[in-house]
Amino acid sequence: MLADLLQNTLDGLAQGATYALLALGFTLIFGVLRRANLSYGAAIMFGAYCATWASLRFQSGLLVLALVTIAGAVLAGAYVERLCFAPHNARGLRPGNAAIASMVASFALWMQFEEIVTLWMPQHLYAFPALYEGAALDIGTLTLGGPLTLRVESLITLACATAICAALWLILYRTRFGLAVRAVIDEPGAAGLSGINVSWVLIRVFALASAIGGLAGYLVVATHGQVTPMLGMWSTLKGMLAMMIGGLGSLPGAIVGGLVLGLVEAHTQWFLGPQSRDLVSYLLLFVLLAVHPAGLWPRSKPVET
Amino acid sequence: MTTSVLLEIQDLVTSYGKIEALKGVSLTVEEGSITCLLGPNGAGKTTLMMSTAGILEPRRGSIRFAGQDIAGKAPHTIVAAGVALVPENRLVFPRMSVIENMQAGAYQRNDTAEIASDIERMFTRFPRLRERSAQEAGTLSGGEQQMLAVARALMSRPKLLLMDEPSLGLAPLIVAEIFSIITELNKDGATIFLVEQNAHMALKVASHFYLMEQGRVTFSGDPGSLAEDEVIKRAYLGSARP
Repeated sequence: MLADLLQNTLDGLAQGATYALLALGFTLIFGVLRRANLSYGAAIMFGAYCATWASLRFQSGLLVLALVTIAGAVLAGAYVERLCFAPHNARGLRPGNAAIASMVASFALWMQFEEIVTLWMPQHLYAFPALYEGAALDIGTLTLGGPLTLRVESLITLACATAICAALWLILYRTRFGLAVRAVIDEPGAAGLSGINVSWVLIRVFALASAIGGLAGYLVVATHGQVTPMLGMWSTLKGMLAMMIGGLGSLPGAIVGGLVLGLVEAHTQWFLGPQSRDLVSYLLLFVLLAVHPAGLWPRSKPVET
Repeated sequence: MTTSVLLEIQDLVTSYGKIEALKGVSLTVEEGSITCLLGPNGAGKTTLMMSTAGILEPRRGSIRFAGQDIAGKAPHTIVAAGVALVPENRLVFPRMSVIENMQAGAYQRNDTAEIASDIERMFTRFPRLRERSAQEAGTLSGGEQQMLAVARALMSRPKLLLMDEPSLGLAPLIVAEIFSIITELNKDGATIFLVEQNAHMALKVASHFYLMEQGRVTFSGDPGSLAEDEVIKRAYLGSARP
């Protein structure tokens, strides 16, 4: 029983780490634009297909595949930003209308990405080179006297997620670019007045968010060893779910939300079966939104004077 | 001493949809002056400020600043040209510290050492900001936020400082302090173009003023060229139209 609990917690944390990365990318875009980018997951899927193609064509190594996934996602993300979000930041359009237009346009591009990859690589499923071929590490027999295994893939995922969180923090709080990003998140009207080129910041944030999403996408497909067009929908849903559980627009919330979602899924799957996994996570979101809509770790509110 | 025109706005039209908020505004701001724009609510004063700073795109007309046309340029380009706006309601970055707000104001500059010494200068001018330097700007009082907004705008080393209702919502004592800061800045060489509801205070510091009503400039003169109670009447109520 204890070993099961520990095992689920360990697996849940690793899965949650990828959710946290997906949610971080989502939150960054939402933070600077205050708009939902529905083709976020589709851009990640596009990156994963670029890597799949590279793997089939050139038998590229793991690191190259990771970089190709990230590059593909960044490219697709920049395409989405230019097409769906940049035009509507033009002065003169009412913010409410602009937000709806951007969201619907990004939905259209999601469909476009799905069509592109299915025409390009028409099989329903492609194998993807595994992140690690060997067996899982047994860390339980010595310490607990029972079976407790740690997959090397999980270890790599957790390490990558931790490194990304640290790097993101350094970028946001220790660089000139980070200062501009935080200014745009805080008070977009005043950012331009301070001399910050807001549209320049937006496209870079999009690229950064897509890169983080691309890495998450790579870790997911390399852990599962397969790619399908469903990856787009899956990434968007998990990222959004984790972002909303953690608290809309909050970066620490994205991390907390991702980890909580991973843990809840792992435990539910073990104790209630795989059918109830998604049911329980959506129920969690529902209860949270009804009881505490700000999320688990909400964005700090400035004190009003 | 000859004065030169720093800002020249000609026949400026800015509209929200079909509604023209500015219906052909022309005015000039002379270098070294405190020029004041008065007028009732809805006259288009804030629209004029936002058009000059590049937040709104004018439909027609020109805005010449120090010889170059800045009408329709992006806000950051206009900051780079040397115009900084202290916006209505201050709009400080609430979750960033006081120092970070000032660093953001210097975003167009690359001279790190000079930026640091300018921040030090701001702290000397606004001692209360020094006490709160590490505090989040959202936790400051209204008067402190106004001072921070001014300091942030000054960090870009503007040739022209636009101020949109700096006294809005502040206690009388703080308003007096803000106006004495405006006079000091002007003495130190800054050209200031000021929108004010508080006509009495504005006329005390201004070297020239304009009255705006319903999207047009209806009067231009030096303080004293029109009786103060007449200015105040027209600034608050607008003039009766024939």
